[in-house]
Amino acid sequence: MSEKYQVVNGNKIHENGDREQNDDASLKEMADCYRLILQNVGENPKREGLLKTPERAAKALLFFTKGYHQKISDVINGAIFTENHDEMVIVKDIEFFSMCEHHLVPFFGKVSIGYLPNNKILGLSKLARIVEVFSRRLQVQERMTKEIAEAVDEALKPLGVGIIVSASHMCMVSRGVQKINSKTLTSVMVGEFRTNQKTRDEFFRLARS
Amino acid sequence: MSKYDVSELDADELNQAIDDTNFPQSHHVPSSNGNRDDGDEKNIRKPSMPLPMKIQNGILSKSYSDDVFAMPGTPRTPRSITTPGNWHEKCTFHHDLELDHRPSTREDLISDMANSYRMLLSSLGENPNRQGLLKTPERAAKAMLYFTKGYDQSLEEALNGAIFDEDHDEMVMVKDIEMFSMCEHHLVPFYGKVSIGYIPCKKILGLSKLARIVEIFSRRLQVQERLTKQIAVAVTQAVQPSGVAVIIEGVHMCMVMRGVSKTQSKTVTSTMLGVFRDDPKTREEFLNLVHSK
Repeated sequence: MSEKYQVVNGNKIHENGDREQNDDASLKEMADCYRLILQNVGENPKREGLLKTPERAAKALLFFTKGYHQKISDVINGAIFTENHDEMVIVKDIEFFSMCEHHLVPFFGKVSIGYLPNNKILGLSKLARIVEVFSRRLQVQERMTKEIAEAVDEALKPLGVGIIVSASHMCMVSRGVQKINSKTLTSVMVGEFRTNQKTRDEFFRLARS
Repeated sequence: MSKYDVSELDADELNQAIDDTNFPQSHHVPSSNGNRDDGDEKNIRKPSMPLPMKIQNGILSKSYSDDVFAMPGTPRTPRSITTPGNWHEKCTFHHDLELDHRPSTREDLISDMANSYRMLLSSLGENPNRQGLLKTPERAAKAMLYFTKGYDQSLEEALNGAIFDEDHDEMVMVKDIEMFSMCEHHLVPFYGKVSIGYIPCKKILGLSKLARIVEIFSRRLQVQERLTKQIAVAVTQAVQPSGVAVIIEGVHMCMVMRGVSKTQSKTVTSTMLGVFRDDPKTREEFLNLVHSK
């Protein structure tokens, strides 16, 4: 099974889109795992409300990890345009939902992406799609932020990229230390955003306003 | 007589009024001699460690028999003999000192659940041996057990006798109690706020006990409608008030992060019992107080 994978930053990515074949076989396996989990938790998997829960939960988890099967080149779909624009482009407050890889519990929040084009601009929704690809995986917020930055950087080769991710982690809110209002902020600055203080300030001011 | 005419329901009827769909006594504990109808369960791997539990961490776990579970409201998940003293600090199940409840012997189920989670991780195409995922099966199993710890708790324990005689017959309300529960259909969290109001009839309840009642019923596989009703009937059982009102405003991740993807949507359910149901003015007063800042 390992030949099919390409490991990027610790996340395995399917090289081909043989998703259908994988999913049918693994769906049944995953449903069985969930049925066992339901029993262990003390519930009765045969009661009406839980009868189809293993299948539903398996499909839900597959949906939450569909980012593994997506390639950035497919998602961008050629929506890169030549444009003589060298001012900052920001798409902010893109909501995302990801899964904490440590507890398998969701974390969610907002991503703000800014970049300084180098004669090439990206279709705006593609920035949101890039967020989707990397958020629909078992993730750690730091890694997700970096992966989004690298993807935008590689796709466009811009003068600079800045990403800010602000998220609420249910593993911290609904269990463990239980701090309801806490938010985790991570950011990655590449190129001009890293070297130039004024660019960075402008980005922070616009993205966080 | 209306089914919700709380003042006229006796103890038995109250016990029946509570929706016990997801109470542990409705669950047949799997036994090794397979006396349940197998049907489609042939493919399910039986738990590797049969109950009752053995000695672990120096704690002798009591073996249970089915007689114990004949009584409604008694959790069926295995319990241990509570050892008094300060051994809880060495408890490996809890990361923080949650000293307000007995640690569950469901700890022994962690290895089984961890195996299930490990299989889930490989089915997803992930590598369960990479550094970030190495202990994830155990962590996820503990997290899931925490999210379903309500099965282990009974009303009498949580209330701990905090019922007081008081001649107060005006509305008492505790609002905006955070609630985190698990959708029983998708095993994805839903969370929100619970507001509970009741009109006492000679007895009042410790305020934090209302929050504890919310905890017991929310830390289960739930449906928001059932959760609302269970909380209302539990408050009724506890203090026999003239009326109880419960409103829950929830955000369902199964609807927000998958499926129809409506991120701003909220689900509101309510249960009105007794005088809240019969008297519109009381209900209105409750609703006004819930929505006031």
